[in-house]
Amino acid sequence: MRDAAENSGTETLLAEAADWDLFDVNARVGPSGVHGELALEKPGLLEEMDRFFIRHALVSHWAGEEYDPAVGNEALAREADERLTPAWAVLPNAELLEALAARKPKAVRITPGPTQHNFSLAKWGAGPMLEFLQDNAVLTLMVRNDIAWGEVASLLENFPRLRLVLLDTGYRADRYLFPLMDRFPNLYFDSATYLAHRQLESVVNERGAERILFGSRLPLFTPASSLGVLASARISDADRLAIAGGNLRRLLGLGASA
Amino acid sequence: MRSPIPVMDCHGHIGVHPDFPAYQADVDAMVGVMDQLNIERLAVTSTLACYNDCPRGNAEIEAVLRRHPDRFFGYVTVNPNPPGQAMAELERWAAFHRPPLIKLHPGLHKYPVHGEHYKPIWDYANEHEAVVLVHTWDSDPNCGPLLFPPIAKAHPKARILLGHSGVTWRGIMQAMEAAEAAPNLFLDLASSQHHRLILEKCARRVGAERILFGSDMPFLEASMTLAHVLTARISDAEKEKILRTNFLTLVTG
Repeated sequence: MRDAAENSGTETLLAEAADWDLFDVNARVGPSGVHGELALEKPGLLEEMDRFFIRHALVSHWAGEEYDPAVGNEALAREADERLTPAWAVLPNAELLEALAARKPKAVRITPGPTQHNFSLAKWGAGPMLEFLQDNAVLTLMVRNDIAWGEVASLLENFPRLRLVLLDTGYRADRYLFPLMDRFPNLYFDSATYLAHRQLESVVNERGAERILFGSRLPLFTPASSLGVLASARISDADRLAIAGGNLRRLLGLGASA
Repeated sequence: MRSPIPVMDCHGHIGVHPDFPAYQADVDAMVGVMDQLNIERLAVTSTLACYNDCPRGNAEIEAVLRRHPDRFFGYVTVNPNPPGQAMAELERWAAFHRPPLIKLHPGLHKYPVHGEHYKPIWDYANEHEAVVLVHTWDSDPNCGPLLFPPIAKAHPKARILLGHSGVTWRGIMQAMEAAEAAPNLFLDLASSQHHRLILEKCARRVGAERILFGSDMPFLEASMTLAHVLTARISDAEKEKILRTNFLTLVTG
């Protein structure tokens, strides 16, 4: 530790993360009507990413989640940055789907929960949208609490090529998550709230790292929490790099950072 | 990742949990993790006692303290029901520590922390200047942080740790408001929700002297809270208080 008035910060504690080519799957940008002072515009988000050695992030816009996908996507387009890959908002709506297709999306974040965009992920409710996402290999992000576990199973039974990333699964997820992952090879999850004692380490060593993606939950959570868990996990270097960003880059068809 | 200073951890458990698998939850594995992260000593409560059976649970803690006297502190976990059991447990395990460490879990025991059956426990805590770790949760009718200022003012010699500090952003705001109202209320950082900016806000409003590092091991991963503290925009001196000095001062009387 340095002198009392100083702050050792991240550079000493997590310096090893600088070599991990971190790619965050779970970040949002823009003002939030709910989260007030925690929300970050692009410069603040990039600054926070810098503090924690996060080189790239898959980013959605709060307006696309809290309000309207079209408005949110326009706002997200204005935040274009080589470090930020857009996770667009979309609804089961032909006009929106056409606009989404024009953006040649790599990823979307969908919010079907009843207090959000309030739609069904059944074939009768979102069939064409989900067909588009799976046919175009669009990575589909969704917060776990927005969907019941049984609906995850139905969704992946109906759309088996859909590459689904469950965000914020929470640390109590394993008794649902593992059977689903055994059954559906295109199911992934992020590490932002996967925070039980030695959970990440144990699960990686028992089940592999291929379907776990580093997530920070920026701007709500400090990246320190999920980064600390990844840094302290007693796993192989290859597994750590896969979670840090390798898995996500593979899914997005991107190479390593220059 | 390793703490640069040896940590005194105010919030841990012995046992497993009913609603998700436990990983590396045996005592030897926990000591291995403590060595890795540089947690010198962990104060533990019995998870069995929190969920189901205090007498058997506290006996588990006694065994751990006997085996690892230099690595663990032990809370006596008490349940206000059935009436009378709590006082018997406090007397039975009085040798754990002086001042006593007491754990209350009004959330799982489903009884309000300001209810009549807790009164003798609070009186005991006040009389013995106990350190009392209480589970808290945002606005919870049994253990919301704002229930605590009257209890703390009525029992000024008890040192009350608001376990998890209410957890959510709103819960932590409530915990800070409570701590501002009574000087014997302290904030415990053990949580699954590490909001950006929150630790800096707590340090400014309540002061680092009343913030304690808690991991919740082996329920939650200690490295997440450790990384949060060590990367926070507060001074190294404040970090040292949070990670070590504050709890050490409390348990040594």
